[in-house]
Parts: sequence; C-alpha cells; structure tokens
Amino acid sequence: MDGIHDLGGRQGFGHVDVDEEEVPFHSDWEARAFAIVRAMSRAPDWTLDKFRFTREQIDPADYLIRPYYDQWIQCYAAMMAGSGIASIEELASGHARSGQADLGEPRGPDSVIAEKEKAASFDRPYEGNLKFEVGDRVSASTHGHGGHTRLPSYARGRSGSVSFVRGAFIFPDDSARGIERAEPLYTVAFRADDLWPGEGCTHIVHLDLWESYLEPA
Amino acid sequence: MSEHEHKSTGEVHRELHSHLPPEPGLRVKAMESLLIEKGMLDPDTVDAWVETYTDKIGPKCGARIVARAWADADFKARLLENATEVVKDLDEAGWAVAHLKVIENTPGIHNLVVCTLCSCYPHAILGPPPNWYKMAAYRSRAVRDPRGVLKEFGVDLPETIDLRVWDSTSELRYLVLPERPAGTQDWNEERLASIVTRNSMIGTDRDLSSNGGSA
Repeated sequence: MDGIHDLGGRQGFGHVDVDEEEVPFHSDWEARAFAIVRAMSRAPDWTLDKFRFTREQIDPADYLIRPYYDQWIQCYAAMMAGSGIASIEELASGHARSGQADLGEPRGPDSVIAEKEKAASFDRPYEGNLKFEVGDRVSASTHGHGGHTRLPSYARGRSGSVSFVRGAFIFPDDSARGIERAEPLYTVAFRADDLWPGEGCTHIVHLDLWESYLEPA
Repeated sequence: MSEHEHKSTGEVHRELHSHLPPEPGLRVKAMESLLIEKGMLDPDTVDAWVETYTDKIGPKCGARIVARAWADADFKARLLENATEVVKDLDEAGWAVAHLKVIENTPGIHNLVVCTLCSCYPHAILGPPPNWYKMAAYRSRAVRDPRGVLKEFGVDLPETIDLRVWDSTSELRYLVLPERPAGTQDWNEERLASIVTRNSMIGTDRDLSSNGGSA
C-alpha cells in the first residue's frame, strides 16, 4: 500500500540521532514488549508479512511517533482482534472475559534455545524457469497496490541491473493474505542518479525484488 | 467469528488507539496479563527472551564473526560465499539467521545497510537494532543521501570510494564486514573483536581504530 511506512527517499525528517546510547533496550517495557512478541502463541495465519501489513496500517501520524516496540504490541493487539481471539475491551483491560485462545500450550522457556538454533527459512523449492539472470537490465513495476508489497515506491518505474539471483522466496504480497507461494528473488542494483536524477548522487542502491515486480528493461 | 471481522485493520488500530492505556508500559502490561489469561504466554519464557537479548545476543556476536574473518582467510572466503551455513556451524547459540549475506568493505568500497519499509536487521547476530535504524530520518535518507547520513555519524567518505547501499526489502539479512585496520597484524581474535563497533557492521562507521583493543 502507498502508506507512511514507505519512507525511502522521503524528505523533511531531519538529522539522525547519532548520540543514542548503545544499549539493547532503552527501558524495561521495551525489553518486555520485545520478549512477549517472541514468546507468545500465534494464530496459524499470522505470517511475518501479515504482521508487517498490520503495522503499515497504523494511523500515519501514530506510525511516525509511537515507540517502535509499542507498535509491535499494538499490531499483535490488532491481529488478536482481527482473528477473533480477543475483543477491544479485553485488550484495553488486560483481562480475558471470554475463554482461552485455542492455540495449544504456551511455549516454555526451552523454546528460546530451540528458536536461537533454528531460524525460520523463507526460501522454497521452485519448478519454474527464472526470467532473469545476472547482468540483465530490468525495470521495476510502475504501480503498486493496496495490499502489502515489498517494492518501495522510490524504485517504481526505474531501471537497474540484476546483480544476484537469490533463489525462490515466499512472495510477501500473497503471504500477507495467507497464501504461501514462492517466486524468484533478485538483488537489483539501481544507480541513485537514476532514482533521483539531477541531485549529483553517485552511489548504488541494491534492492531485493521478486520476479513479478520486474519486467525486462 | 469476530465482531471485528468486517472492520478494516486501520479501523481496529484507531479503536485500539482510543481504548488502550496511553502509556507504552501500561499497554505492554495489559497485553502480557491478557496473553497469560488467554493461555498464550508463559511469563518464564518472556524472562528467558529478555535475558537472552540483554546478556547473550548482541553486537559482540557479530564482532567475533568479523574478527575471525580477519584472522582466517579461509573462514572469510566461506563467510562471503555462504554466511548462513558458516554461522550455523559456529558453536555459539543465537547466531541462527536463515538468509545471511556478508558484504565486504574494501579500500575502494563502502557498504551501508537500511530497511526503508520497516526495520529488518540481523537481530540474531547484532541484537535489537538501534532506535535510529528504525526511525524515519535514517530510513528515508540512507538511500537518497547516504553520504550526508554518514557525515552525521562522523564518516566523511571521499567521492573516490564507491558507496553501495543495501535496502533490506526481502528476508535476506545484510551484515557489513568492515576493513581490518593497519597495525593489528599481531592481534589475536579476541583483541580484534574488541575494536569492531556495532555501527561498522551496519555501515555507519568505517575506519576502525587500532588504538587500544583489549585482549
């Protein structure tokens, strides 16, 4: 969707806070929120892309100012409401009025070790032919859509060249809607001068783009 | 099904915004108690994750990988070829990243990592990302004005050095392999690791100092 989250190349956000203290968490609630999200049970259709799409739909003004891990909590609250696991009233009060969620036993502390050792994989076998190879000139699609997508608006309609063929990965636009389908993924190098002409940019921007975002240039 | 089924996610967000406690700390507490009552959360598991990401996983994990790459040419070659497999074989738990790509800085190349669409970051190797990595200023400018961003971090990158920005739009996670500073030939891996900064592995730091370092 053409949302506030699509920040690449936007202007007016000022300086980066380079003096931030280098600590894993800046408050106890941040650590707690991060850990709750790691530890909690999930409904089967709560994919990473569904979570991302949920975050993209936070009210734009709220998106820019609400603390990051607070947004995580808000997204899981919205997903619980959307999946019928909890009502707004329950989420507001912190107490269950209806029954328990039917998602099996909560994960015990041992799950931390198991998850640390085995990360989720997002690549999948693929039978089709690859449309592009390294060195090919490609153009990114000129349009987006109202759902979740990983083609940033700054690259739309721009041309670049394929620098890596990465294999087939779960297609996020479908995954956010609960459909698992794999598509070839390419790393495409764009000259920044093609993305923002006339600004004297000399760098290269690499994006990982799925095949259906691309056409031969 | 849910009474909210017909509502858009945007509407649910706005309702939550007006009904949930305003303070983040209170919202997190409410969520934790509700999840426990719903049978979806074991508070001991929350404690275990906090401990893991406070004490065990963090930039030091990444620094040890960088130091080993500097000290062992064969390890470095394998890391650049297939970082996911190499990291999996390391004996430290917590380094599982399914799709890790290591990108190398050289005298003529500098790499910078960003996620313009959300905040993708190699958590399992670097720990939670800094706030600035997740905020609009960095996400908007790292692709368009990366030299300006680098200057703010104190890195004045000459135009003669090629700058490559990596926008993490997929599940690939990028880790920058900074250059080994001169004057560190005799150092062991532990001492080498002690000078590797978190920002150098994101690309917002470049010239690591050979002054000091602790064995």
